[in-house]
Amino acid sequence: MILILFIIAIFVLLAGTIFPLITASLDRKFIRTTSLSFIIVSSILLGIFSFINLISGESVLFTVYQPIKLFSLSFEIDRLSSFFLLLTSIVSACVAIYFTEYIEHMDGNSRRNLLCSSTCLFILAMVLVIASANTLSFFLFWELMAASSFLLVTYEYTREETKKAGIFYFIMTQLSSLFVLLGIIILFVITNSFAFLHLATSSVPLVTIAFLALFTGFSIKAGIIPFHKWLPYAHPASPSPISALMSGVMLKVAVYGLVRFLLDVFTPDVSWGVLILIAGTVSAVLGIIYALKEHDVKMMLAYSSIENIGVIFIGIGLSIIFTASNLPLLATISLLGALFHSLNHAIFKSLLFLTAGSVVSATNTRDIEHMGGLAHRMPVTSAFFFVGAVSIAALPPLNGFASELLIFIAFFTSVAVVNPLFKVLLFISIALFALTSALSASCFVKAFGSIFLAMPRSPESTDAHEVPSAMLIGPGILAAACILLGVFALQIFTVVGFAVPLPDMLFVSILLVGMAVFTYLVLYFTASHEVRVSETWGCGLLSQKASAEYSGHGFSEPLDVIFSAIYRTRIKNERKFFDQKSCLFKEGSGEIRLLKVFEEYLYHPIAKYSMKGARFVARFQNGCLDTYLLYVFVAVIALIIFLGWFA
Amino acid sequence: MNLDFFIYLVINTLVVVTISPLFVSLTKKVKAKTQGRQGPPIFQTYFILIKLLKKEVIYSPNSSRIMRVTPFVTMAALLVAALFVPLVYLPEPQGGIGNIILFLYLIALARFFMALAGLDAGSSFGGMGSSREMSISAIIEPTTIIVFAALAFVFKTLNIFDMFASTAANGLLETPTLILIAISLFIIIIVETSRIPVDNPETHLELTMIHEGMILEQSGRNLALLELSAAVKMTILMALLINLIVPFGLTTTLTLAGILIALVAFVVKGSILAGLIGLFESSMAKKRFFQLPSLFAMAFFFSTLIIIMAVFS
Repeated sequence: MILILFIIAIFVLLAGTIFPLITASLDRKFIRTTSLSFIIVSSILLGIFSFINLISGESVLFTVYQPIKLFSLSFEIDRLSSFFLLLTSIVSACVAIYFTEYIEHMDGNSRRNLLCSSTCLFILAMVLVIASANTLSFFLFWELMAASSFLLVTYEYTREETKKAGIFYFIMTQLSSLFVLLGIIILFVITNSFAFLHLATSSVPLVTIAFLALFTGFSIKAGIIPFHKWLPYAHPASPSPISALMSGVMLKVAVYGLVRFLLDVFTPDVSWGVLILIAGTVSAVLGIIYALKEHDVKMMLAYSSIENIGVIFIGIGLSIIFTASNLPLLATISLLGALFHSLNHAIFKSLLFLTAGSVVSATNTRDIEHMGGLAHRMPVTSAFFFVGAVSIAALPPLNGFASELLIFIAFFTSVAVVNPLFKVLLFISIALFALTSALSASCFVKAFGSIFLAMPRSPESTDAHEVPSAMLIGPGILAAACILLGVFALQIFTVVGFAVPLPDMLFVSILLVGMAVFTYLVLYFTASHEVRVSETWGCGLLSQKASAEYSGHGFSEPLDVIFSAIYRTRIKNERKFFDQKSCLFKEGSGEIRLLKVFEEYLYHPIAKYSMKGARFVARFQNGCLDTYLLYVFVAVIALIIFLGWFA
Repeated sequence: MNLDFFIYLVINTLVVVTISPLFVSLTKKVKAKTQGRQGPPIFQTYFILIKLLKKEVIYSPNSSRIMRVTPFVTMAALLVAALFVPLVYLPEPQGGIGNIILFLYLIALARFFMALAGLDAGSSFGGMGSSREMSISAIIEPTTIIVFAALAFVFKTLNIFDMFASTAANGLLETPTLILIAISLFIIIIVETSRIPVDNPETHLELTMIHEGMILEQSGRNLALLELSAAVKMTILMALLINLIVPFGLTTTLTLAGILIALVAFVVKGSILAGLIGLFESSMAKKRFFQLPSLFAMAFFFSTLIIIMAVFS
């Protein structure tokens, strides 16, 4: 019965896609607001639907269209899909509320209607990917999701960096689709069906190849290192709410795909778990180390998404290792940790992207070195960003901590039980996992400190104002969700029906508040109440200069030096002299450049060889009719020989 | 929450707040003696705290709400963290109090706020302190987690209460693993409480400028809170070490006599450890900041060795 909610939601989204297209030439606010409110309405419907489904644990199956026996366009929504639908609907609703106001400040006149339309389409595609009941419809909507997100990324197509980002994104996302398609085709060859059929064995090489293809496809989409390069390009190029949707939801759709195939199709081998764990750990550590170095706020958030996806993959990898080592309880805990972290990351990362969008639109720059002092100028936005920062830094009692704690607990209890060979691996990855969360605390101290604290470091930042209320409601809901999901983590798991060994964060939060009140009261009765506001001591300067502040660069400098081996800088000195013996100096230049390791050593060579291959193939296409006739002739001969031989 | 646990809450908080300044002074005293100085009286830290409470608070015009809430959040986080480490009376754990990972992250919460407060006034001293503090805490984190994982492995539990209960029941521990863990925990105390060779708690000048640099802009009652919370942090980390290695006296029954004996025992053990920390500090020179990673790497390999010994033995 509740299925009707899902169907209505789909149609509302469809209406939201079509409506701005019909009226594409009219540059009216109400068209865009209507289209975006369609998203809000459908998200609420979807949210109710998936919540009920998640609690009841029932699986809903229905077929829409079946042209041939082999393929049907059908949907199945079980608990896993409901969970990801819930995640999608929460984030989409908040982003849409925010977008209603944000879009009015954007350039592009009536083109903005198309932006609304593609946003609806994008959300629709993601919902349908999650709801798909067979691999082929999964792939079709996956492709729709890729195409609509490409439109969103290239919205500001006139800018040079957006063009580059768009092409980069397009290639990567198509590569991802190719691998997913390859995996699906191999699965079809094995099972002769497009359904999510369970394969009892993992020892057949073909199954392993299918897994590797799917894993690569999902990793590219999720931004696992070394396939991550599209994230730091696409996020700064696209409008902030789109970044929030892509980082918050689209990456999770890739996670969903991986989990779905691992649970429903494969019987994972332990080595797959090791592969996922290593990929996750590497992404987590490198992601946050790169994020520390970034001073473009959206690029920093993009790298931090890579880190968090790494954390999610760590949970998934652990779960597979534990399942294979016959420890179902630990496997459940780590899988729940991974899924809960997906939800939490979706919430706090979209919160951070939205508030960062507000900051960027208020200051007209993405460079955190040119911000500062915004805590006074944008008090509400700064409070919301702060909640997101505490969450992402995995500090209690907010939600980021709750999910990382689950993964930590799985790690800690695993130590005593699994086979010694994996112990070493687990130790290395728990140490790196701890490093990751500590580094992310450092990264977000830097981000919050540079953006919001101290004095403004640019005229735009000095004149910044708080954003309109619609741009505060969306992030506000997300910030509240961050707090609630953290404080009530244990209760939520109990309601959903999982007994997890989490500490009662509600109790801890009450204690925290209690202790703060106690401290306040003691001070109230014992300490002096005098307060004076006076200039910070500026080492003898008459008044403090904003340029003398500790900058974001300075903040991350110690870690830059410590991890300099990872950043791989290249130092170049060029000197010119008047004489041949290099005595009289004429001019010179020196530069220290950050090597883009993955781009220069992995992406560019691959691109170069593909171009070479393409040029070779292009020779066959010479445009001359005679040559094509020859091809046809050769093809016919080959066909005749083939048929004569085999048939 | 039952009555026993509530009494535990009150006792533990009162004990940790009243005793911790003493340990700070003792360390200072020992350091002074080894340098041939008289040193401050052992109640000096109390006098300083009382003096600070009477002074006015000065805020920078640049500073935001962060500066105003940080002392309270830091104090609250560390007082809750103190509940995770029973000092004198060991009740049954309740509602996840005692979870060793949560304990670690409560300390991280306090540090997060303090680092932000360091940036808030816009002075370069505070920023430098915050930056260094966050960097050091990030690179010591793998070691800390490995040591805590080793504890969880040796005691087969994640809860500090259960760990204490098991050491208290078994008396003095004879396993070499625990002695090795004690050494690792000692290194963590040195790093977490900003002591030589990592930082110098006596000064905020350029060469060290880590913890003290970060709280340079604080004044009056806020500074008193931050000083006290630093002392509380030192005490609870010390208590973790003490009650794991030499748990005599720690009472599991709620009697006045038991608690008094436990209190005396804890003060004696804590004073000895505080003295040891002072001696350790005096025997070392401050390391250059960028030499610290190699020091931490050593600590890391050391603690990994413990785990490997424990795991493969």
